[in-house]
Amino acid sequence: MSQRRFPRPSEVEYPAELQGWDEMYPPYYIFSPERADWEDRQFWYHDKIHAPDPMYPWDLIFHEAWQISLSQYNTRVFCIPPAQGVAQRMVGCYMFICAVEPPPGEIIQKKAELFQKRVFYVFEHFDELYEEWLKKFKALGESVEELKVPKELPTFEPDELVFPTPRGYFTSFEIIDSYDKLVNAVIKGWQYHFEYLNLSYLAYLMFADTCRKLFPTITESTIGKLVAGAVVTMYRPEEELCKLARLAATMPTVKEILKREDSPEAKIEALSKSGEGREWLRQLEEVKRPWFYASCGSGWFHYEGSWINRMEVPFGYLKSYVERLEGGERIERYLEEIERQREKLAEEYRALISTEEDRKAFDDAYRICRKIYRYAEDHLFWVEHWFHTIVFGKMWEFAALLKRYGMIEEEEDIFLFNRFEVPMILEDMVTAYALGEGVPSRSAYWKEKARKRRAILNAARFWSPPPALGTVPEEIAEPFTVMLWGVTSEKVDEWLKSGTVRPEEVSEIKGFASSAGAIEGRARVIKLLEEINTVEPGEILVCPTTNPSWAPVFTKIKAVVTDIGGLTSHAAIVCREYGLPAVTGTGIATNVIRTGDTIRVNGDKGVVTILERAA
Amino acid sequence: MDLIRWFEEIGKEDLGLVGGKNASLGELLRAQIPVPPGFAITTRAFDIFLEEANIKGEIQKLLREIRPDSPQSIEESASQIKHLIEGSRISWELEDEIGAAYRKLSRMCQTPALPVAVRSSATSEDLPDASFAGQQDTFLWVRGMDDLLDRIKRCWASLYGPRALAYRIQMRFPHEKISMSVGIQKMVNSWNAGVMFTLDPATGDPSKIVIDANWGFGESVVSGECTPDQFVVDKVTMEIVSKRISRKHCYFTTDFETQTVQKIPIPEERQENQCMLDEDVMRLAEIGRKIELHYGKPMDIEWAIDKDLMAPGNVLILQSRPETVWSQRKRSPVIGPKSGFDLLMERAMRPFKVG
Repeated sequence: MSQRRFPRPSEVEYPAELQGWDEMYPPYYIFSPERADWEDRQFWYHDKIHAPDPMYPWDLIFHEAWQISLSQYNTRVFCIPPAQGVAQRMVGCYMFICAVEPPPGEIIQKKAELFQKRVFYVFEHFDELYEEWLKKFKALGESVEELKVPKELPTFEPDELVFPTPRGYFTSFEIIDSYDKLVNAVIKGWQYHFEYLNLSYLAYLMFADTCRKLFPTITESTIGKLVAGAVVTMYRPEEELCKLARLAATMPTVKEILKREDSPEAKIEALSKSGEGREWLRQLEEVKRPWFYASCGSGWFHYEGSWINRMEVPFGYLKSYVERLEGGERIERYLEEIERQREKLAEEYRALISTEEDRKAFDDAYRICRKIYRYAEDHLFWVEHWFHTIVFGKMWEFAALLKRYGMIEEEEDIFLFNRFEVPMILEDMVTAYALGEGVPSRSAYWKEKARKRRAILNAARFWSPPPALGTVPEEIAEPFTVMLWGVTSEKVDEWLKSGTVRPEEVSEIKGFASSAGAIEGRARVIKLLEEINTVEPGEILVCPTTNPSWAPVFTKIKAVVTDIGGLTSHAAIVCREYGLPAVTGTGIATNVIRTGDTIRVNGDKGVVTILERAA
Repeated sequence: MDLIRWFEEIGKEDLGLVGGKNASLGELLRAQIPVPPGFAITTRAFDIFLEEANIKGEIQKLLREIRPDSPQSIEESASQIKHLIEGSRISWELEDEIGAAYRKLSRMCQTPALPVAVRSSATSEDLPDASFAGQQDTFLWVRGMDDLLDRIKRCWASLYGPRALAYRIQMRFPHEKISMSVGIQKMVNSWNAGVMFTLDPATGDPSKIVIDANWGFGESVVSGECTPDQFVVDKVTMEIVSKRISRKHCYFTTDFETQTVQKIPIPEERQENQCMLDEDVMRLAEIGRKIELHYGKPMDIEWAIDKDLMAPGNVLILQSRPETVWSQRKRSPVIGPKSGFDLLMERAMRPFKVG
């Protein structure tokens, strides 16, 4: 096949309203003439999974962290032989990524030796290693939670910090120090995040290969079913809600209060007035940490919020759970049943293998994959949800301080500055404070910058970058690029086509065939969790992604289409449980489909057809 | 005398008496797999016919006269034997036995002079592919005793058809070691019909059931006259994993005037409709799984959905035989003696094609 090409990075044209976008991000995130030779040779594509929308400069920190960490496990630690790292660039305000071309042959050979030595060790000892991992990760999160962010700058430091021995460092340093520690913890947390993830994905791909050799036409969704576990930490928040709802069902006053249309604060207030209510609240307090540290979205963005700071979300679910229990419905997932079905599935496929040798290879491949894949499923709650909730919590504390002292207009503006700029604002603030009364800071400069950046981000929402840039490679060795971003030959072809088509002209979109079945119906496009109550029974949910925060809606709808997520994504797993067709990871569903459109979801083929546009 | 055997009374131990095709129908019934009702006219009946007609010696003489290297001589003998068999009368006794069974079958199906399929079912003790050695003849839509007796004789005669003779000569297989039974079976008035493999014939994937289907009789599918719709069902998850809806330009059905099978063109606008209901695909696949389980090997199955019968009893199996293409390949490992670590290393070393 002749070489397929997208525009060169230098050929992208930006609208005038975006002018200045490049100053928002670290300089090495910008395509640059001195690196053009190398950059033009790579294949860059818009990371719609993690960054579908224009990127707030501070939120980029997680990506900065994973760029380093994901890559170094491939190249320097576990040494996946032909794979190098995944590089990032900003294009307009959108994040592009690329699997770096493979290293020279002699490096591949050296890496192969290290891979055998190190990776096989990890697989042999994974159960113990995972325990260790969880211990150190929890310790890291707790250390972030303990960081002190002063609520105010005291006019005079208190006596206790002077007598009997002056502490030696005071509020100004505490602020600078806590912020630095926060940033370092984020970088470190993401180093931990990838400790076993690359290997989990590799093991999944290895098992998928094995299945396809034995059963050439086995579907992706079946492989997903064979691998996915039912008891996954990511579902714990939902399970805890179920337990709280069950408890409430035995407490008439609690049940009645939870069913009200009141705010969470009013409900808590009412509950605290009765013995039963207090008992229930005590239970709630017990599970809140860590299980309400679940993001209302993906966990990647400061604006998503988490249950713990958006209590209307868990209380909304509690209301519906309590009502469903009253109606005699079961609210829990059938965990044992799901496990049993998965085991039966594996057993039946295994029985179809005709030689002893192949059966042995299948067993071993399956064992290895199942063992480590739990990491892929469990780390998600601890990192993207629990840890990010803590990190954002601290950031909001810094934001409140900056706003209080007039450095920014709105608290959210802190996220308009990248992680290297925030310490400058903090230092500007504490310097003026340290200098004494009547000393001005450059707050006007920061506020002006924030205003300008807000305008740029808004403008970026109305601009679409090209889907990809640079040169399409013949092959890709990087496991995430294949498994997570789903970069395949077909996808590249679709990108090559899509540059010329407008969303309203699209009549068919493709994604992962994540849950079998085909059905037609009315689409309901939900971009934010807050809109979830608008879903009508029998509609087809079209959304960016789902996570356990969305769980209660699945009993109302008849199919799901998501922008983001593969075969083991939350939407895929839950749809298979409920027997709903699902197409996930389409990349563009929420842009192309409008609420009211009649669509057909084919979960066998991974195709969504727009049959009729809403008037 | 054992001249007639109902399918319910037949098992694989009766191969020598009723031939491969009939025996397999009996086997299917024993495994609770629905087949159209019917009975077999045993090889003993054929022997008695040959004796009563007193043509055995003459047939043997004609067979001896064949010059193996001369197709013309094979043709000549075949034609004379055919004439001998078809020209001889079936005795009253034998006719009574067949007639009684036929009337009973008609009563069972609540149709006077029931239309039946008459199929030859060759037997041989030690030739596995007896069907080929006997060159199976099938006559469809046969009604009434006169026609029935005539087609039975034609089936018998097909044992000595030129291609069957040539095959046995080529294989150096003695003619007297093979005999012929005939199956009489309710003619399925099929709404849909086709073939089903309990593995993917294209890839050998043992986890799939592949169904080729068209409207009407299975002839349009078997003969390749029409590209059928194809449904692939995963045996384990029992989901339809793919559907290929083809442009089907014709189907075969019965012309009630002439009582013959006719090819009917399908109107343009209907050609690309899915011919078979998903529910029927699933019911059929279930039966396919049962058949495979019963025989313990991949099977090649002819099936039909009878429009006279009610669901779920309307899915009928017409024939089933072991799948030959993939099954005859040596069962060599696909992966081989590799550990999970070997496979992991392989995966890690091999990039994915994108370009």
